[in-house]
Amino acid sequence: MLLKYWPEQTNLKFMNLRLIGAMVSALMIAASVFFLGTRGLNFGVDFAGGTVMELEQTDTITVEAVRAAMPLSAEVNSAVGTDARSIVVVKFGEADPAALGEAFQALPPAEQAERATGATNELVVRVLKEALGISDDQFLRNDSVGPKVSSELFRDGITALVVALVLMLAYIWFRFEWQFSVGAVAALAHDVIITLGVFSLLQMEFNLTTIAALLTIIGYSMNDTVVVFDRVREEKRKYKKMPDRQVIDLALNSTLSRTLLTSGTTLLALLAIFFLGGPVLRGMSFALIWGILIGTYSSIFIASSIVLALGMDLNKKPVEDVQGFQGAP
Amino acid sequence: MLQFPPWKVALILLALAWGVVMALPNVVNMQNAPGFMPKKGVNLGLDLQGGVYLMMEINPNEVIANRLEVFAGDVRGALSNVAPSERIGHIPEVKGRELEIKLTRPDADGNFPLDEALRRIRKLNGPVEGAIGGAKTYEIEPRGNDTIIVTVPQASEEALMKDALGKTMTIVRRRVDPDGVSEISITPQGNSRIILEAPGEPDPQRLKDLLSRDGKMTFNLVDNSPSAIAAAQRGVVKPGYRLLEGSTTGPLLVRTIPEVVGSDIANAAQGFDEANRPQINFRLNSNGARKFYNTTRSNSGKLFGIVLDDVIMSAPRINEPIAGGNVRITGDFTQEEAQDLAAIIEAGEMPAKVQFLDQRTVSPTLGHDSIRAGTRASIIGLVLVAIFMIVAYGLMGGLAVASLAANIILILGALSGLGATLTLPGIAGIILTIGMAVDANVLVFERIREEQRAGRSPMTAVQAGYERALSTILDANITTLIAAVILYLLGSGPVKGFAVTLAIGIVTSVFTAFVVTRWFTVMWLKAFRPKKLAV
Repeated sequence: MLLKYWPEQTNLKFMNLRLIGAMVSALMIAASVFFLGTRGLNFGVDFAGGTVMELEQTDTITVEAVRAAMPLSAEVNSAVGTDARSIVVVKFGEADPAALGEAFQALPPAEQAERATGATNELVVRVLKEALGISDDQFLRNDSVGPKVSSELFRDGITALVVALVLMLAYIWFRFEWQFSVGAVAALAHDVIITLGVFSLLQMEFNLTTIAALLTIIGYSMNDTVVVFDRVREEKRKYKKMPDRQVIDLALNSTLSRTLLTSGTTLLALLAIFFLGGPVLRGMSFALIWGILIGTYSSIFIASSIVLALGMDLNKKPVEDVQGFQGAP
Repeated sequence: MLQFPPWKVALILLALAWGVVMALPNVVNMQNAPGFMPKKGVNLGLDLQGGVYLMMEINPNEVIANRLEVFAGDVRGALSNVAPSERIGHIPEVKGRELEIKLTRPDADGNFPLDEALRRIRKLNGPVEGAIGGAKTYEIEPRGNDTIIVTVPQASEEALMKDALGKTMTIVRRRVDPDGVSEISITPQGNSRIILEAPGEPDPQRLKDLLSRDGKMTFNLVDNSPSAIAAAQRGVVKPGYRLLEGSTTGPLLVRTIPEVVGSDIANAAQGFDEANRPQINFRLNSNGARKFYNTTRSNSGKLFGIVLDDVIMSAPRINEPIAGGNVRITGDFTQEEAQDLAAIIEAGEMPAKVQFLDQRTVSPTLGHDSIRAGTRASIIGLVLVAIFMIVAYGLMGGLAVASLAANIILILGALSGLGATLTLPGIAGIILTIGMAVDANVLVFERIREEQRAGRSPMTAVQAGYERALSTILDANITTLIAAVILYLLGSGPVKGFAVTLAIGIVTSVFTAFVVTRWFTVMWLKAFRPKKLAV
């Protein structure tokens, strides 16, 4: 319907803008590294350890009352929870061993270190139940992660990202040429670094679901890049004499309406999660929304520019028709 | 590409029908449906249902130390409990991960009988359970001229940990779920961890209390003479006795060597006494009952202490010999405490203490909120995408939306059918696949548009469009699938749920976009034979 009004053949000279793109990206990466170095990431309990509690806010359970009752220093804030419920969010680390009782202090130091988080959590639950009469069901959420697990989760998260990048590199190498896989993975690394930079700048909570979002961004950005690369390869084989730069521009233009449509629909779906899915999914959907914007940008300006810079030598390799895949003429 | 012989149509319909049948219990109550229909919808994760997630670990050092203690007992049997002329004097001591056996009595020349001791101890050393090639459980080496060091080699440590983990899991299961009726899931992770997921349970403290006890139950004779207790409190403990506390009994001197032990107990349950107060009843097995009878017969008038994890539960006076092996503990319990204690006693002693590393609790209230918010976001996301597609592509967009509906049904059906768990990030995964499922359709439609512009008829344009978009669609989705698989392998809990829905979503969206939409398009083309496709 409306797509009829989209011009049949756009002819935007993306590759003329590649230096500007490179500069913008270099700036964004520099800024990201700067923010990551100075402000760092706002790690959630998954990676930082400690406890986060969400309490149902009532007349008796208020920020002031909880703050007054807390037996150790804690961050206590009011927030809007899932489904517009008013909640009190309590964040804290480990209490002083003296507050955790004699049985705890009798433990060997290594065991104390590992148990402190859990013991503090128990102490706080007990104190809050006594002081404010909170029932079990009013502890909407109570997550406490010890130092061992939080460092493991962080390590596993980073491993997942690196393994994903390496496998993508291998797959693109297998399906295309090495220039393409370098371009694709550089674009992915670009996306991940800049997304981390945004998380650092806005100090949004960085947790396990954020890692999941980063991996999805990698998948999505890859998806976008592959579609463009597929076209580049096809056009290159069709117009053997055409300069690389024009080939890439042609491919980018002919996939442009698809790129915009797919990003558009995915963004619509994600905006619905961001605004309606509640606070648990907010960080994740924010990362995904940002990732789709940056992923679309990077497949045009980073991945393609790198392929252009490295040059294509598609004609050296004999073209095979692999069953199930459509080879080029 | 455009031929749909009857068998293909049948397969497509079969797949869709399977999806509908599997997805049905999520929407309507299937309790009264015929027997062959599935009754259960998709499993909800703890974040949607509410419940407690606990990750616990058993410490390898402790498991090894406990095993070495047991081995030290065997060594004592081989070196000391023999004919007097054969005895070899020694002092065993477990130091961290090794057992040190120091010989104490040199012969007239000042030489220790090291070789003879080594020979006897090595005879006790059995093969590793389940190992191939006859590797031994312990490494036994002399050190100096009077000491023997026993350690556990790597291969054997793994077997011991596996054994300890299995035993711990059984005990955890028996303690938290004595009747075997709850939906608590207990799974091992690696070789030292156990993950417990208890849906619906709002109180993590009760679970932790149940699991953090050793569960070492003994029946010991008691010395309650005030002078001996007072002396012990000053630090002079009567040899062969220990000073223990009990909330109802106060401090008492308890004989170190028990008369009856935990493994003599056949079963334990919570009951009520004459005044209808909760108590714990248990029955001893025949061996335990005999020991209990003998002890009560020869110790009339003394107190008999019932000790759990070094705390005296009660210490009734022995009035007459008790036969039959039925025993009870009365005390100041609530019914819940008595139930939990009975479960702990019946489950037996843990091979090693568990430590809680990670604890997450979500209340059912928050779970319901999340389901509502997630469902609302999905429906609105779906409607927005549908409007967008129809506005952009008109009729073809409508066909894509129809196949999108088929996609959602298949995802729900696959999640239910495979017994996968739906988490809140999993719902986000479904919404994300809604957005991305459109991608395959868009790729095809854009190709069709191009082919039509090049002057092809609708039929050939559709044919060429699908053919040329296939490799792109596969490439693009395989890369996302790689990301999903890695997430599944390295992720945990809710993130795993996200990976599962993402992976299922990728597979079903390729199927629906490439097969179902194509089938719809071909049927429509054949029915109406339009001169030009409006895409």
